[in-house]
Parts: sequence; structure tokens; C-alpha cells
Amino acid sequence: MLTQESHKALVCIQCGKCTGSCPESGKTLFNIRMLVRKKQFQAVVDESLPWYCTSCGACTIRCPRDVKPSEVIIEMRSALIENGSVPLALQKALENTFVQKNPWGRSRNKRAAWTEKLDFEVPHISETESKRLLFVCCIQAYDPRCMVIPVNVATILHRAGLEFGILGEEEACCGNEIRRVGEFGLFEELQEENIANFKEYGVKEIITLSPHCMNVLKKEYGDLGIKVSHYTELLAPMVKEGAIASKGSYNKKVIYHDPCFLGKQNGIFDQPREILKSVEGIDFLEFSRSRENSMCCEGGGGRMFFEVEATYKRNAEARVEDAISRGAEVIATSCPFCVMTLEDPATEKGLIVKELSEIMMEVL
Amino acid sequence: MSYALIVAEVRRGIFEERNLDSIGICAQLGKETAMLLPEGQYSFNEKMVDSIVKVKAGEEVFLNPLNMAAIIGKIAETRGKPDFIVFTHSSSGTEAAAYTAGIFGFPVITDVSGYDKERGVFRKSYYSDKLFGEFKTIGESAAVLTVRSGSFKEFAAEKSAAPNEVSVEDVPVSDSRTFVEYVEEEKTDIDITKADFLLSVGRGVGNKDEIPAYEELAGIMKAVISGSRPVIDKMWLPKARQVGTSGKTVKPKVYLAMGISGAFQHIAGMKDADCIIAINKDAEAPIFQYAHYGIVADMHKVRDALKGILKG
Amino acid sequence: MNILVFTKRVPATQEEELRLISDGKDVDFSKLPFKVNDWDNYAVEEAVKIVEKGGGAVTAVSIGSAESDEVLRRAIAMGAKDGFLVEVDQALHDPFARSALIRNFIQKEGTPFDVIFTGVQSEDDQFASVGGILAALLKLPYVSMVIGIDSVEKDYMIVRRELEGGLQERVRVATPCVVSIQSGINEPRYVSIMGIRKASKVERKSFKGTDYDAGKDAHIELVQWTYPPKKGGAQMLTGELGDVCAKLMEILKEKGVYQ
Repeated sequence: MLTQESHKALVCIQCGKCTGSCPESGKTLFNIRMLVRKKQFQAVVDESLPWYCTSCGACTIRCPRDVKPSEVIIEMRSALIENGSVPLALQKALENTFVQKNPWGRSRNKRAAWTEKLDFEVPHISETESKRLLFVCCIQAYDPRCMVIPVNVATILHRAGLEFGILGEEEACCGNEIRRVGEFGLFEELQEENIANFKEYGVKEIITLSPHCMNVLKKEYGDLGIKVSHYTELLAPMVKEGAIASKGSYNKKVIYHDPCFLGKQNGIFDQPREILKSVEGIDFLEFSRSRENSMCCEGGGGRMFFEVEATYKRNAEARVEDAISRGAEVIATSCPFCVMTLEDPATEKGLIVKELSEIMMEVL
Repeated sequence: MSYALIVAEVRRGIFEERNLDSIGICAQLGKETAMLLPEGQYSFNEKMVDSIVKVKAGEEVFLNPLNMAAIIGKIAETRGKPDFIVFTHSSSGTEAAAYTAGIFGFPVITDVSGYDKERGVFRKSYYSDKLFGEFKTIGESAAVLTVRSGSFKEFAAEKSAAPNEVSVEDVPVSDSRTFVEYVEEEKTDIDITKADFLLSVGRGVGNKDEIPAYEELAGIMKAVISGSRPVIDKMWLPKARQVGTSGKTVKPKVYLAMGISGAFQHIAGMKDADCIIAINKDAEAPIFQYAHYGIVADMHKVRDALKGILKG
Repeated sequence: MNILVFTKRVPATQEEELRLISDGKDVDFSKLPFKVNDWDNYAVEEAVKIVEKGGGAVTAVSIGSAESDEVLRRAIAMGAKDGFLVEVDQALHDPFARSALIRNFIQKEGTPFDVIFTGVQSEDDQFASVGGILAALLKLPYVSMVIGIDSVEKDYMIVRRELEGGLQERVRVATPCVVSIQSGINEPRYVSIMGIRKASKVERKSFKGTDYDAGKDAHIELVQWTYPPKKGGAQMLTGELGDVCAKLMEILKEKGVYQ
């Protein structure tokens, strides 16, 4: 049932392109090329190293030999997990996911509490005709900062007349980060539960709010015959056709940050840009490291749940400084993890971080 | 003759304030009280009880539950069985209460925080104070209780006459369990009980890498950092910084609780602070019941915003 | 050393709102997730660490419904050699009744042990009494609130008890004995789902509580449940984050802790 991708460490020629692309190399002791080498020789690896990976995917995308170094990391992490040597904070996140089906350990029964902020009812997926599922995502269901995203997107889709439903309390964590940290058993449990629900309710289409959810539902849940997309893929054509009326203007210098799981890993670069550029008044700016070269915010790979020993300047801080130096007033992005990791340094330096739907709601 | 035996909680010559709750519940139960103490001088208002029973044994013998059961057995022989045996809900109190109940086959209810006189039921916390269970004892035998600190002390009152004093001698001392020594916690240069302003972080801090930013904020605000049990259990802050029943009890001018839900054991350690300000993501967090001011927000966001205001 | 550890399956109530049903006679568990009692998790970890170091075996025992098998599998995944389930169909609220059942089970089955570990208390009823009552019923010495086990010798142990205010006391206790383990004594290892699945292959024996007079020794009875009294509550500061922080600074200035 598990579509596990296996790595091919043995064909690695040690060219070093992976380390050259890695957001952690140079600043930390993490060296992916060396770890693949160690894998080739079954050599001992320092236990702290595999936890640095942010799952940005750059190494795997650029590897000329299709080694899939990110899978090497997942396998190393899996071995550490089975051995019981897991960072304590990550243990808690995994145990929470096991009990409450979300890494934050928030009550499963409150997973649909965000819908109380809407001025309309969101039906359960079983009550819809279109069987179009809005997959909410754990952090967006529970975290007060991110809860605005499902509220906004649901409102936008509702006003555009698009029918959709939710699983509510039956939604379990998609498991993207769970698989990335190597807990295969837990990932399978989550996958089984979600797939059983998709089948039971005859889900035909899934709209995700997080690129992480989209990634795993689209590529790692097997062939379900269900169309999976990120909400920006739906919104961009709707904005073009004028299905979403925008009246106000957003007169700010906005720079767009490509999330790794949306951009480089799934090729969705244009749709978020089209949406932003359609907003009246936006002065649209680009990072030089944009699109496939976007700088990873370091929120992936399970790193929202634990911290590594780090004395270096975080990418998020560097990204915020870069944005400021380009004259941006707002960093716009379309991933809740990017929002959370960028917002910490942004708040300190006086820059605003907005998820796309937040900007849209200001002008609708 | 019906009476309640109060086993005093003492430690290194100190008569703990929690004993007032034991006295208070006996007033509610309408029982004459006999307070049991070991050898030594303890300062407390003796007129609060009807009689004092002094055991001819030192504190360390007294605080050993194996010996306590034997002591109580002797008292029952000479004075008759008490209707209630009351301990404080504390490390040694609860230990001795459970063991005593087992030895004599008495019912035991711990952490009693309420008593309904009319219905004769005891209230006890469940699920960290989310619910209370109401219990009745079955049968006519004595009942063992441990009493939650702060729950009954308002009922403790002076009697009209001074108490009479009796002593218990020839107490058999067990050698199956013996006291070796006290172990003080490591001395650090900070004594959080002396701080005027405590910035306390709880489970919501998420991981230890967030702590330095709180230390920085505390530095700017001239606050002292402390934490609740989950943070200390994970060793993100040293034990000396723990606020709560198994840590320190603090009474600062301001207690700023960030990401602390308000479990009772923590509240007990800080509820007498002059001003409690609670910050928590969860609007239902019990701490908002005890705080003077509350903010429903992500603690990290508040920290960063405060730092921004104070530095800029 | 052979260690018998008691482990309990409890509802995860930290984030939940609890509802009373049947006129206050029952708690609605239907939508609650369950987990292992935190204190018992520390106890299992401590027991496993001791036998990993000094030899012996850990046997996990759970008193509860059939689903309590989950916590036995978890204990086995952590390193316990086997698990026993003593099935009771209704919760035994009275710690005396639970301890008596355990005593009957141990004596009837002749389960060998050098030390019995319990957690200081369980997250649901927080009675903190089973360990002490059990020790008394088995006529064994008892130590509770154990925050550290300094040494394990042939017929005694040196342990540290957690007292109030950060103080600890070192105690010598003869074995066999009953020890109640306090949270924070160690860092329990992570148990992966694969690990729990592997543990399923180890046989867990099931026993019926009724065979050991479950519930016969109840000394207290639950009359009903009530909700806690609502206290006054805090004055909430609301608004934009910047404004809220400004208000907060005003309060600090007013209280004289910040200029």
C-alpha cells in the first residue's frame, strides 16, 4: 500500500551537485553528498546529522544520476526512529499525531472549529454533489495565525460559487512531514485512514490549502483516481476569467516567496504570480532566488516540530533581510509553514508576511 | 469517642501551612481534632485543635509511612479508632495516607477539595480539574483523607480552650525502609522566589530552541525566567526555575505566564502573585480562571512583538 | 531483577471539553482518544532501563477494558518481556478495589517479582493511592514519588523521593517492595508504530477480573460527577497585537516592575 520511493545510493558518482543545492550545507555540519557516500559504505553516521534536512527536494531534483538523496535521509531517519533515538520534541509531535491525528496534539474533535468563523455553512463532503473535498491541513485547522487561511479560501470559493465539502473531524494529518521524518508505520496509519474516508465518501477531487498536503496526497497516496490540486491552481484561472470580482486595491510593494513543496517540487510557479499580479495596486517584486531556485525557509522535513543545534543565521532571517533590501513591504507566500517560519524574523524587523488568500480577501 | 486524627505535615522543623486545611476540613466534618506530631518544637497556633498527640520519635521516623501505620495503630488502641485520619495532599502525606488505608482496610479519598455537609459527599478532582467526582465512603470504618491545599483553611478556627497533650511512646521503627539524607537541589545564583517579576514559560514554548529568545526578552524587561513542570521535565530550564507544587511557590508582583495551561499543581505555585497575566493560544485554558489579565494569542508572536517594541 | 510494572490506558483529556451524561452519572468517552498514562510510561521506561543494565525482565500488567492491550503492546515495544491484561468491564473508581484486585491476581497466579513499579498517579482519577494500598496489602515496604533510583543492590535499593520546593530525600528500601515512579525520572524512549506492530507478535495473556473478585473490596462509591465551579476569570486584553502589547506594558509599568 505504501508507495515508497527507494533511493539508489550505489549509483552516486559524488559529483556534489546535491550539497551545492542544499540549504543546510556550508552553514551546518550537514553534507548530503557525504551522507550518501556513508550510505554506500554502510558507514556510521552521527545521529544528529540526518535531522537537519528540510526536505526541500533540491538535491533530488538536481541529481544527474537519480540517486534521490532525500530518500537516503528518510531511510537514515527511519533507522534512528526504530532505534528510539529521536529528538524529544519530535517524539512529542509523533505521539500527538498518533493520538489526535495532528502533530500539535490538539483535540481531533475541534478540527472543524475554524468553520465557526464563517458566515455560511460548509457541508460535510458526503453532503455535496461534486464530491470536491477541501483538505484543510493540521496547522491551519488549529493554529490561530494560520486559521485565517481556510477561512479565507472557503469564503473565496463560496463567493465564486464553487461547491466543496470537508471531512471535519474525520480528516487526519496527511502525513507528508511524518513520512519525511521516517516514521513509516505512522504514515501508513494516516494514509489508510484518509484513503478509507476518501473511498467511503466517493471523493472525486481534492483541493489542498498546504503544498505539503498536496505533495503527499498527489504523489504518495497511490493511484486513487482523485484529482489533487493546490487552491492556487483553481484560483488563478478563476481570477483570469473574472469569476472573482475584486474591487479594492492593495497598494504595497509585495515580494513573492516560492514555497519548496509548491514550486520546485510540484512546478506551480505561475498561478500564485498570476493571482498576485491581478490585484490592483500591487507593486510586484521578485527575489533573485525565485522559482526553482527559491530559498528554502527551513520549515519542512519535520522541522516545524523540532529544532536542531544551530548557531548560524536562519534562512528565514536572510530571506527577510533580502526582501527588505529589495524594498518590499510585504512577503507573500502560499504555504502555511513558510508563513510561520518567515513571520518570526519578519515581525522583529518590521516586515509583514501574508498568505495569498489574506491579500485576496483585502481586495474582494 | 468520635474524633479526627490529623497527621501534621512537618519538614525540617517547619509546621507546613497546608495543615490548616486539614484542621479546616475537620471543622466542616464537625469532629474533635487530635493533631499528631513528632518530637521537637513546631510553631503553630495550638488552640486550633482539641488535643495534641506527640510521638516520641524524630521527624524522619514519623515521616516514614511504614512507621506511621504503626503509630496510628497504637493511637487507635489507646484512644479508640478515629472517624477520620487526615493528611495533607503532599508528597509524604499522600504516600502515608494510601499506605495507612491499605494496612487498616480503610477507605481513602485523596486531593479532597470540597465537602458537602448535607449529602455527606467528598469532592475530588478528576482529569486535572476538568471534572469533579463526588464520593461517599462505604461502611462504618474510619476514612482516610488527603486534603488539597487552600481548600478548607478558611474553616480553621481557634477553640475556646487550650489543647490537652498526650504522648505516644515505644514506637516500633521499621528497618525495611529508612531515611538516608536530604538532597538539596543544586545551588544556582537565581532564587526565583525572590524575584518581583517572573516571566514563566510552559508547554506552549514548543522546543528548547525558543528559550533563548524568551531569556532575551526577560533580560530586556528585567524579569526572571521560570517555567512549568513540562519545560523542566524536558530539561529546557533547570529545576531551580520550576514553579509549582514540586518546584517553588512564588509570590511576585507580576507573574507573566506564557503558554502555560494552568494545571492545578502549577497554579498552586503562583496563585498568590499580585498580578497574574496569562498568554495562551487556547481560550479555554484553565489559567484564564486564575489570571487577572489574559491574552489569547500565540506566545511566540507576543514575545517577538514585545521585543520589537522594547528594542526599537 | 524481575520487575512488575502496572500500566493504564487513559483518555487523552488535555485539549478536550468533557461532557457529563446520564444525569451526571457518566462521562461521555465516545469521542475521546486514548493513550498510555504518562506516569506509567515513565515507570515502564525506568524498569526497562534497570533490566537493560543489570539483567532480568519486565512484565507489564494492565487492569482495564480489552482495549488496554494497546498499552501492553507499547510496554513490550519499549522492552517489557511480556504483558498481562486483567480485564474488567466497568471502571473501578475506588483505588482500594483496584489494589485488592491486583493483590488477588498476583497471589493467585503466583507471579514472581522482585519489585513492583506503579506510576505515582493516573491522569484520569489522580488518586495516587494504588501503589501505597497495594504495598500494604502485600505487606511490602513502599516508596512513592521516586524521582531517581540511585542504586539497585541484591536486597535493597537506594532511591530519591521528590518533596516540595525542589527538595529531595534519599531513602533505603528493602526489596521486594512497591515503588511509585514520578514523572521526569527519565526520558522515555520513542515507540514507533512499526515497533508496536512487532510487539503484537509477543503473546499478551488475558485474564478475567471476575476470577479475582474484581470490585468486591470497594470502600468508596462514586455518587456522581460535577463540573468545576467557574471562577471569576481574567480581564481579557483584545485587539491588534501591537495594541495588546502596549496595554501589557502599561500594566507592567503600573505594577512597578518596568519603567
